[in-house]
Amino acid sequence: MEAAKVLDAKGLACPMPVVRTKKAIEEINAGEILEVHTTDKGSKSDLTAWAKSGGHELVKEAEEGDVFKFWIKKA
Amino acid sequence: MANTKVAIIAANGGLFDAYKVFNLATAAAASDAEVGIFFTFEGLNLIHKEAHKNLPLPEGKEHFEEGFKQANVPSIAELLSIAQEMGVKLLACQMTMDVMKLEKEQLVGGIEVAGAASFIEYAKDANMTLTF
Repeated sequence: MEAAKVLDAKGLACPMPVVRTKKAIEEINAGEILEVHTTDKGSKSDLTAWAKSGGHELVKEAEEGDVFKFWIKKA
Repeated sequence: MANTKVAIIAANGGLFDAYKVFNLATAAAASDAEVGIFFTFEGLNLIHKEAHKNLPLPEGKEHFEEGFKQANVPSIAELLSIAQEMGVKLLACQMTMDVMKLEKEQLVGGIEVAGAASFIEYAKDANMTLTF
């Protein structure tokens, strides 16, 4: 999946993954994909909830080792 | 979450209290909610220029300090500046400032000093009101 931007939020604890994702999504255009990498276990449910609250689409998520990956399509 | 308004009362001044207040405030602001925090009594420590950088852990819970470091939790100073950057409204309670002999200059910049009625006016149409 072609991401317009990749955000490395690994090692960050709540609420920073969501805070950084919010900032990063402001830097891309509607319809583009933001790829986010995290290690915070809470970010799995948090980024899902965050995308929903902003009307963004969580297109795909994956786990690779300790890293959670999210692909969010900006509304 | 746009068009959602969150009103928070911060009435306690320990490190745990500060994390509850600022984590929820920044998470709400990151979700496009309008957020306002009313700092009263010991909650004023959270926006005191010096005190907010070194808030106490509850007595007997000092060992959690290590846990905060290991979890790579942002500092309160960092969360406070993120909250301000995201437009979280910070209201300091005038009456408790008088009781605690605090001047506006002793608090961080960018805050408003206001009375109880101002917070009530802000919170009257809030979707969530949280008290810590």
